[in-house]
Amino acid sequence: MAAVIDLNGVSIGYGDSAPPVLVDVTLSVERGSFVAIVGPSGVGKSTLLRVVAGLHKARTGGVTIHQDQRPAHRPVGLVFQDARLLPWRKVVKNVQLGLEGLPISAADRLRRAEDALKLVRLDGYARRWPYELSGGQRQRVGIARAMAVDPDILLMDEPFGALDAITRNNLQDELRRIHRETGKTILFVTHDLEEAVHLADRIIVLGGTPARVVRDVKNDAGRDGAVFRDQVEKLRLEIADNYSI
Amino acid sequence: MNTRTSLSLSALGVVAFLLGWEAVARSGVVPAGLLPSPSAVPTAFLAEVQRGIWQKMVVASLSHYAVGLALGTFLGVAFGTAAALWRVWDAFQSWVVRMLRPIPAIAWIPFAIIWFGVSEGAASFLIALTVFWINYYASYSAVRGVDKDLIELGHAFGQGGLIPRLFKIILPGALPGILSGLRAGLGQGWMTVVAAELFGISGLGMRMMEASGLLATNIVVLYMVTIALLYGVSDFLFMQVQARVLSWQR
Ligand SMILES: Nc1ncnc2c1ncn2[C@@H]1O[C@H](COP(=O)(O)OP(=O)(O)OP(=O)(O)O)[C@@H](O)[C@H]1O
Ligand SMILES: [Mg+2]
Repeated sequence: MAAVIDLNGVSIGYGDSAPPVLVDVTLSVERGSFVAIVGPSGVGKSTLLRVVAGLHKARTGGVTIHQDQRPAHRPVGLVFQDARLLPWRKVVKNVQLGLEGLPISAADRLRRAEDALKLVRLDGYARRWPYELSGGQRQRVGIARAMAVDPDILLMDEPFGALDAITRNNLQDELRRIHRETGKTILFVTHDLEEAVHLADRIIVLGGTPARVVRDVKNDAGRDGAVFRDQVEKLRLEIADNYSI
Repeated sequence: MNTRTSLSLSALGVVAFLLGWEAVARSGVVPAGLLPSPSAVPTAFLAEVQRGIWQKMVVASLSHYAVGLALGTFLGVAFGTAAALWRVWDAFQSWVVRMLRPIPAIAWIPFAIIWFGVSEGAASFLIALTVFWINYYASYSAVRGVDKDLIELGHAFGQGGLIPRLFKIILPGALPGILSGLRAGLGQGWMTVVAAELFGISGLGMRMMEASGLLATNIVVLYMVTIALLYGVSDFLFMQVQARVLSWQR
C-alpha cells in the first residue's frame, strides 16, 4: 500500500527560539488507514495536524503529502478543535468555504454543502447564523465543511469532544461508514482512548517533553469485549508512563 | 427595552430640552438678543425658505459633505487596511502619519483656499481630510484585530490568497470596526462642513456667519438646528444600514 503522508525526522516548534514541541517524528501513513493520535493535553497533537495540513512549517525534516489527481476536491480537509465558523456566513455558506475557487458550478457547490450537512444531520439548519447553533452543532458544521471538499486526507482534531454520547456514537458510526466506503485516509486526534481503540486501525501515542512518538500500534482489538478493554488499559499505562507536562 | 419605548424616550428628551430652552429665553434672565427662543425659529425658517436661501444652502453643504465623506472614507479605509496588512508599508509610512495626524483639518484651510480657491473643492477637501484620519485609524485597528484563527481557517480551505483572504476573511471580520469608524466620520464630517464654510464657501456655515454679522441670532439658531437635523438623519440612516449589514452578530 502506498503512503499518503510521509513525515521524516520532523521537529516542530513555534517561534524561532522556543524549544521544540515535537521532535524526531517519523511516520508513514498508508492510503485508506484510520489513524488515531492520542496523548496528554499540550503534547502537540493539534500542532502535528497543523503541519500535515500545511498551516505550519516543520523546523527540520521532510513532510510529504501525496495527492490524488481527482478534479474538484482538496487534498486535505481539516476539522479544527474549536468549530471555527465564519460568523458572518450562514451555515450552508460556511460549509461551502472550501469549495470556492474549485472548478465547479454554484449549483454543485450548494448540493455538496447540503449533502455534507445531511451527513452530520444538520440539513434543517442550512440558513441559520452560526450564533444560533449550539456548541455541538457548530462542531458538526465544521465536520461538514471538511467533508464537503471531498478530501483524500481527513484531519480531525477532537471532532466529537463537545457532543453527547448518542450523537457521538452516531457520528462515530457515520465516520466508520464513510471511511469504509470512500477509502479516505483519516488522522483522528482524541484524548478519549476508548474512542481511539473503537475507531482506528492504528494508534499513535505522543508523550514526553519535547514530545515524540512513544508508541505506534496496530489496533484490531474490536469494538468491545475483553480484548478491547485490554487495549485501552495498555494505552492508558503507556500515556501515564510518558506523562511529563 | 424595545424600539418603541426607546424612540418615545428620545422624543421626550428632545421636547424637554426645547421646553427648557424656551422657558429660559422667555423668563428674561438672558437678553433676547443673546439667546433667541426656539419658537422664533419657525418664522426664520419660513422667511429663509421663501427666499430660497435655506434650500440652496442645504444643497450646497450636502454636496460638500457627500463628496468629502465619500473620498475621505474610501481613502481612509484603503490606507488603513493597507498599513495593517503590510508591515513594510506600515513601517514606511508610520512617521509620515505621525507628523500629519496632529494637524487639525481647519489648520489646512489656508492651503485649501490657495489650492482650490474659495470653492466647493476646498470644502470637500477639508471634510475628506477629517474623515480620512478617523477611518484610517479605525480600519487599521479593525484589520489588525481580525481573529488569526479565522485567517488560518482560510488557509486550510484554499482561501489563503490575497484576494479571497481580503474579501472573505479580513474585511468581513474587520467590518464592525470599520463601520464604527464610518459612523464617527459621519459626525466629524458635519462639524468640518460648518468650519470650512465659515470662511465664505457657500453653505450652511457661510449663512450662519452672515446672519451673526447682522446679529440675526434666530437665523443662526435655525441653521444650527438644520445641521443638527441633517446629522441626526444621516446618523439614523447609517444605523439602519449598519444593523442590516451586521445582522450576523448576536
Ligand atoms: N501558536 C502557538 N504559539 C506558541 N506556542 C504554541 C502555539 N500553539 C501551541 N503552542 C504550544 O505547543 C504545545 C502543543 O500544543 P497543541 O495545541 O499542539 O497541544 P494538543 O496536544 O493539541 O493539546 P490539547 O489536547 O489540549 O488540544 C503546547 O505546549 C502549546 O503551549
Ligand atoms: Mg489540541
